Amino acid sequence: MFLTLQDNDKRPIYQQIADGIKALIARGNLREGTSLPSVRQVAGDLGINLNTVAVAYRQLQDEGFVTVRHGAGAVISPRPPRPVNQAELYQPLRTALTQLVLAGLKGHEIEEAVRQELTILQQKGGAQ
Amino acid sequence: MNAPTAFELEVLSTTLIVLALVYALVKYLWSQPLQNGPGFFLGNEVPAGFYEGPGRTWLKAYRATLAALHLVLAAALGACIVLRRLDLWYFGTPLLYVTTLLAFHAWTRHKLGSNPPIRPVALALETRRLGDYISWPFEALSATIIAFSWWLLMRHGGTRIEWLPPLLFTWTALVLPGKILIVRSGSPLPAERAEEHYRYQDAMRRNGIDVLSAWSWLFVIFLFGFALRRAWTPARNVPWLQWLILGIFWAFWGYMMFVVFRGQRLAANMGRGLLPSGSWLTPFRRASWTRMSRPYDIWFAIWFGGIMVLSLYSMYAHL
Repeated sequence: MFLTLQDNDKRPIYQQIADGIKALIARGNLREGTSLPSVRQVAGDLGINLNTVAVAYRQLQDEGFVTVRHGAGAVISPRPPRPVNQAELYQPLRTALTQLVLAGLKGHEIEEAVRQELTILQQKGGAQ
Repeated sequence: MNAPTAFELEVLSTTLIVLALVYALVKYLWSQPLQNGPGFFLGNEVPAGFYEGPGRTWLKAYRATLAALHLVLAAALGACIVLRRLDLWYFGTPLLYVTTLLAFHAWTRHKLGSNPPIRPVALALETRRLGDYISWPFEALSATIIAFSWWLLMRHGGTRIEWLPPLLFTWTALVLPGKILIVRSGSPLPAERAEEHYRYQDAMRRNGIDVLSAWSWLFVIFLFGFALRRAWTPARNVPWLQWLILGIFWAFWGYMMFVVFRGQRLAANMGRGLLPSGSWLTPFRRASWTRMSRPYDIWFAIWFGGIMVLSLYSMYAHL
């Protein structure tokens, strides 16, 4: 299973790693109990600082996507419970939609883009 | 049956080394620059039509360097036979061979690969565990034989023993740190055909570990044979026992050569059309063209340097 990091991505590296792992979980490619490679291995393979990977893993842990056990590494957790606060849940969607509107996309273009992305997400791993 | 003389051993060992060098030259080294296909020269990405233009000169220069290297080795072998100092040839050959090829690679990389393209990188989310690559029972067996050999030398020597050869054999056999570092080393994978690049990299990783293991066992057997011969009187007087140990040693030598050439074959078959490590930049860094991490390169320099220093000292002590 692979996670792709683009050369033109403006997000910090740790964010790309964390978001990439979350996308794989959402698609059902990474299931509960799957072990992730160690921080050292990821840092070595990508040629980046250990701390960068550690920050990504810590973020995933804080958000409840992975459990880090001492000596056993990071393991994918059961799907975190849905936030009770709807505003919190929709906040990332609002940010993304704002960016698309500011980029000049029309309403129907945005709807089409969202539909396509959702289809891709559901096709790849059969996410619920 | 007589026990093997030192001269017979040198002739046999030299013949085996020469055969391996000639086979490597003809079968793999001669066309190695083209191993990754026409878009590359010795692992450096080159523009289309390179081999119709400057590529011809580069190829000629590479082959001229190889020919010169092997001619020098052949001339040195002749001189060492005349001087009856084949030990000098055993020492000089790997040194000249490795440094010449590394220097040519470095020069090519400097001239042809100084501005590699940036490409998206893929991260394999597979966990590499030491136990999946290294056989701990075999490591324990190897350590036990080494310890037993030293025990034989120390407790049952009886006669004066030269400590330099067993020290050299032991140092040469200690490759476990290198194997661990190979497991931990990983080169960035291009996002395009990531799965194939991953399989290729893993096959090379396993082969690298097999080569180090075979090399290590070669010297474990050498050390054991040395200890047995020096410390156990019957081993000095029973020719068939000496031939048996030599036979085992050469069987391991044959296995090592098989593994080395299997790796070359794998690299040629699996690597065709793939991006060589170090021929491109990730968004974060350039991959090492050795496919290894910096800790591995440091370990290798210390280990290889140690072998060279001990060999040099051994020759100096015999002057």
